[in-house]
Amino acid sequence: MVASAICGRGMRRIMARPILIMPVLLMPLIFVLSFTGAFVSLTRVEGYGTDNVFNWMAVYAAMQGAVFAGVGGASTTAEDIENGFFDRLLLTPGSRVPILVGTMAYSALRSTIPTTGVLLVSALGGLRLPGGPLALVTVYVATAGMASAFCLLGLAVVYRFRTMRSMILIQVCGFSSMFLSTGQVPIHFMNGWLHAVARVNPVTNVLRFARQGFLGDLTWTMTWPGLVALGAMVAVAGALAVHQLRRLTA
Amino acid sequence: MTCSPKRQAVASRGPNSEHPTVNAGAATGLRLAGVQTLALTRRSVITEWRQLGNVIPGIVFPLLLAAVYTHQFTRAILLPGFPVVDSFLDFVLPASLVQSVSFGATEAGTELARDIENGFFDRLRASPCTRLPLLLGRLCGAVVVAAAKGILIIAIFLMFGTEIAGGPAAAVVLVTAAVLLVIAIGGLGQVLAILTGSQEAVNATFPLVFTSIFMSSAFFPTNLMSGWFREVAEANPVTWIIDPLRRLILEGWSWSDVGQALAVPLVISAVTVTMAVVALNRKLSSS
Repeated sequence: MVASAICGRGMRRIMARPILIMPVLLMPLIFVLSFTGAFVSLTRVEGYGTDNVFNWMAVYAAMQGAVFAGVGGASTTAEDIENGFFDRLLLTPGSRVPILVGTMAYSALRSTIPTTGVLLVSALGGLRLPGGPLALVTVYVATAGMASAFCLLGLAVVYRFRTMRSMILIQVCGFSSMFLSTGQVPIHFMNGWLHAVARVNPVTNVLRFARQGFLGDLTWTMTWPGLVALGAMVAVAGALAVHQLRRLTA
Repeated sequence: MTCSPKRQAVASRGPNSEHPTVNAGAATGLRLAGVQTLALTRRSVITEWRQLGNVIPGIVFPLLLAAVYTHQFTRAILLPGFPVVDSFLDFVLPASLVQSVSFGATEAGTELARDIENGFFDRLRASPCTRLPLLLGRLCGAVVVAAAKGILIIAIFLMFGTEIAGGPAAAVVLVTAAVLLVIAIGGLGQVLAILTGSQEAVNATFPLVFTSIFMSSAFFPTNLMSGWFREVAEANPVTWIIDPLRRLILEGWSWSDVGQALAVPLVISAVTVTMAVVALNRKLSSS
């Protein structure tokens, strides 16, 4: 009940002020246009995996958008803490966890906006779906999962530092984890430390899972590592957020 | 002390004025404007220094991007049409530099908007302070920070093996071009700050700057792009700045490249700073 009310409050806020959608939507759209435009010739390098740059970059841009959506969801809590609304929420009886779950659900729902925007623009650019409609399902699952994970991580930081400024930490973390993955090129294109980091970066497996339907058929081999990575990220970030929330309310 | 309009009228009479007291007044006015600019520059630099958390991402993010791209584009640099480079690091230096200084470039406008929002600007107006330092002080502060960032970025690239074929003079041109670009962007930020008086409106220019860099030759040569994106990139002033800077690094010293690299941001700076001065004069005369 509390969770759905908080989620609904966030969505109503967006509906009431559509200008709030712009930052969430604008950056991923800039990314998809910039990356596909600037790096179009990468498809001419042998082993890139596709001859259509949108099929590679669209998922990456959508995931970047999801990370922003997640951080944005946590930012609303930072705003609530700064303006005192969060203290009023804490005065309500019952468990505190639904407050956290509601914010996470709001972020996951919010991530559908940039994902849809990126997919529509990419479709205009020539995006193909060799994996069929299920390819779209994997992208939405992956982006909702990423938004949830980064929202929870953001909440852990917000509960700890109680300021909007602290969100810069999560933004840097989100940017870095995306750039240190197979976002723009396949892993065998990388060398040195980047190759080593991208191999152990959970985002790499999430990208493989989300992108598979754009490069070919969907397979279980590509699916389960991505789902496990998403689950682990949400679980770890969730545990951190719950721990910080308990500290805050103790 | 005299008020600024009087001082400007005195100054406009020029050095051949028959009245020595007028000449002395003009000289005093100029000296005073210099002192005021210096004081506001110092304030601006101290503000940045106290908020290093805002400056650091502007250094770390471009370096991270350069490091990542260097390791992921090892095959891309072998594409036919890609400039001959030992490493992508050599290619990406001007982009990292421009990106780094652009991160804080709107700060001159944001600070001015903050001063307008919190009333400090009105107090400055009420003081016997000339008009131009109100703008120049913040721009000079941004210039100092940008120059420091530029030197740091180049030093780090050199540490990691980048060679600048144009030599130390080319490195000076790189920093100068970056500084001029900051003045151009800062001037635009100040126009917005004066027109809107809102930090949020000034910050909204950041995506514009960010997009201009990504939609240019910053990270890939335009001859390897295609379609409308290539046309946009080729018509983008950021490309006109980055391409000659890149040639100075990869090919060596060339006066025409130096001229282009400096002239483009200089012209844009002249336009945006003039717009800021006009906007300030209108604001002051209307209130």
